[in-house]
Parts: sequence; structure tokens; C-alpha cells
Amino acid sequence: MIKISHLYKSLNRELVLKDIDLTINDSEIWVILGQSGVGKSVLLQHMIGLFHPDQGAIEINGLRLDHLTAQQWLDLRRTMGYLFQEGALYDFMTVFENVAFPLQEHTALSVLEIKAKAENILQLVGLEGVERKYPAQLSGGMRKRVALARAVILDSKILFCDEPTSGLDPILSRDISNLIRDISRHFRTTTVIASHDIANAFRIADKVAILKDGQVVAQGTPQEVRASQNDFVREFIH
Amino acid sequence: MQKIDLFFFYRQTFLIIAQKLSGFGRALYFFADVCSLGLKGKIRLSELMKQIYEQGMQSVVVVALTSAATGIVLALQGYMMLERFGAKEKVASLVALSLVRELSPVFTSLIFSGKAGARVTAELGAMSVNNQITATKVMGVDPLEFLVLPRMLACVLVLPILVVFSQVIGIMGGYLVAVFQADIPGSFYIHQTLRSINYVDFLSGFIKTFFFAILIGWVCCYQGYYTKGGSIGVGHYTTRAVAFAYIFVVLSNTVLTKIILTFWG
Repeated sequence: MIKISHLYKSLNRELVLKDIDLTINDSEIWVILGQSGVGKSVLLQHMIGLFHPDQGAIEINGLRLDHLTAQQWLDLRRTMGYLFQEGALYDFMTVFENVAFPLQEHTALSVLEIKAKAENILQLVGLEGVERKYPAQLSGGMRKRVALARAVILDSKILFCDEPTSGLDPILSRDISNLIRDISRHFRTTTVIASHDIANAFRIADKVAILKDGQVVAQGTPQEVRASQNDFVREFIH
Repeated sequence: MQKIDLFFFYRQTFLIIAQKLSGFGRALYFFADVCSLGLKGKIRLSELMKQIYEQGMQSVVVVALTSAATGIVLALQGYMMLERFGAKEKVASLVALSLVRELSPVFTSLIFSGKAGARVTAELGAMSVNNQITATKVMGVDPLEFLVLPRMLACVLVLPILVVFSQVIGIMGGYLVAVFQADIPGSFYIHQTLRSINYVDFLSGFIKTFFFAILIGWVCCYQGYYTKGGSIGVGHYTTRAVAFAYIFVVLSNTVLTKIILTFWG
């Protein structure tokens, strides 16, 4: 479970996140929606420890992130996957090497076991026969699939996705969103997605939170958010 | 009005100095972190070998050409001057000592900064702006250990080898001029060369090279690691890294030469 309590954050003297309160239960898919620059990515980056709150706290599985030792962080990060907006794949590695990298770093699996697992996960994300290609030889959608495979290859318990459909056409956006949902169900991960893709968000999310100027103005199931009487929410989602 | 201007001037000056000092402090921390990883033995051999190969191969041709040309020019100039005094046989010593003590370490380091150093900064810079460094952290891997240490260590290992290579090629260039232009017997040239270089000459050049390699690796990795501003930022930081590396090599050469001459004269 991820619990965010009264989180405040300022960047360059500007308040980016204000009094964020969210409780994300295990195996739920949450989508944090909002316009560009409202703090969605900053909120995600707090959850993986790249930012530290000015006030408030984040707990993951009962562990307060600001109290973690370096070793606890390392252990926690091994249970998390993060899908970056542009994939953030290593240019100097092939697709196979990119996907196998977390296994080589954090497991004692043999070369054959790593190969089998990497091929299996690539099959799961619908990518076969591209193992020897480099990221620069792939399309944007394929790169995201590879990045998703890398994010969950350690059987991650928590998956964070930062704008997974940005820069993709509507069909590809739908495919990637479906894939994230299927992968989350398959691995039973707790998934938090930052996005401004309203249609796909409402389609795949168990819960939705809407951010405006760094504040959560609505949260709940897609039906509850749709029924919100908040003017901004009504304007944003319709 | 004048008071306000003066206040503004002092404030801005103070802020600029504070900013530079904090930047230098961060660079020192960066260097200390990378060194501590190296001392703990967290060296990835496969990555290191890859970097050694890439940095070495990238610079070797340019170093060879420059060194040969330098040796030839040194021998030509030296031969012209020394012949006037009837001491043309000293050209071997002139070429060897100039190359071993001074020219090869400095020239090779400058070339290395422009080739391998620029490559290191651009690679790390591109990784930084494309979130690959952040992704490394998020995957629970230390980017300093995985991406920076092999590059910095490769600089320290490759540059001395390139300098020795440059010295040999430069001396061979001088040999060609001595034999074909100055009519000095080849065996005499080689004998003179070996006799004129002692371990102090070689070591002084080697110590300098070692310092230059550390400086180049540090500056280029640091600039690349903290690159911001997209593709324009990569170009900007790469240029800055090479410029800083040139300045540091030239300035530290002055200081090191003075220190070495004071102790070993």
C-alpha cells in the first residue's frame, strides 16, 4: 500500500504540490490526471525517492520513505518498476540487454535463465524478434513496450508510469494502456500512472485522482470522479 | 541611487562567487564519490575494457599523426639550429628529451581531451538528458559505479599508454629526419636517444600524464553527468568540458613542471 499524507513540495520557490493525500491499495491501478505542469511527474518521483517532500510523508508497505536507509532504499527499488516518458532505455545496449539488465544486477540467475525470462517478458509485451536491435532502431511504441518489459522483469510489486501514452497516436495509446493494464493484472502490481490521456485513464483505472495547481481536486473510482460536481473536473473530463 | 547600484553589484558578485564555489564543492564530492567506489573495488571489468578499447582506439590515429609530425618538425628545427654550432648529432637528445618530458604528455592529453573526453561528456550528457541516469538510479544501480567509474578509470589507464606510444612515434619521426636529412647514422641516433633519457625524464612525463588523465576524466565525466537542457545542453556541456580540460591540462602542466624541476631538476 502507498500512503501519501499532507505532502507539500516547492521547486524554485514555487509551490508545486499542496497537501496531497492519497491512499493507494495493493494491486490497484491509479491514474493521476491533470494538465501539463501541475506536478504529476513530481508526485511520482516523490514515490521513488527522487524528490523529498518539504512537508508530509510517503509510506510504502508501512515504510516511511524519509526514514529509509540506503540498503532499505535499494531493497525497495528492487520491488519497483518505473516506465519513463521516453522509455530511458540504454542506447548502447540491445533490446535484450536492456531487458535483462535488472536481472543481471539483482538476481543470481544463470545466463540461460536470464535469457528465458527476458524472452518470455518480451513475448508478453508483444515484442518478438527484436532482441538484437538497438533502441534507436525501434518505433516510439516499441521502445515503450521494451521499457515496460524492463520495468516489470523483476516481478515488480509496484509499477510507476510517467505519461506512458505521450507522443503516441490514439491507437497506439490504447494498445499501450491496455498492455499496462494487462501487465498490472498479470503481475498483480500496484500501478500508478501519471497521464493527461483522459479516455484511456478512465478505461483502465481502478481509481483516478485529478490534480489542479498541485492539489488533488477529485479522487475515487472513475464513476465517482465522473459524477464530481467540481467545475474544473467537469470541464477537464468532458 | 549610486548606493543601490553598488549594493546590487556587491550582491551579484557575491552570488556569482557563491555559485562557483558551490559548483566546485559539488565537483569535489563527485570526484570523492567516484574515487571511493574505485577504492572499494566496485569496478565493472567488462565496462572498463569496453571503455579502454573505445577511448584508446578513438585517439590512437590522431595521436600517431600528431606525434610523428611533432617529432619530424622538432628534428628539422633542431638539426638546422644545431648544425650552425657543429652539434647536429645532439638532435637525437633534443627530440627525445622534448618529447618525453614535455611535448608528448601535453599534446597527447590535449588531443585525448578533444577526442575521448568529448565523447565521454557527450555520452553521459545524452544519458542525462534522456533520463537514462535517473533510470539507472531507479533500478537500484549506482550510476557512478555503472556509468562514470569505468569511463574515468579508462582515462587514467589509456592516456599513459597513449603518451608512451606518442613518445615512440615522435622519436621515430625524428629518426627519419636524422637519417634521411641530417645523414646521422640510425644506430647512432638510437644510441643517443637511449643515452639521453633517464628514468627521471620518463617519470616526470609519466607523473604529469597521470595527473592530466585524472583531470580530464573528472572534468569530462562531471560535465556529462550533470548535463541539462536537451540536445543543445549536450553540445554546450561537451564544449565546456573540453575547454575546461584544455585549461586544466595547460595550467597544471606549468605547476607540475615547476614542482618536478624543483625536486628533480
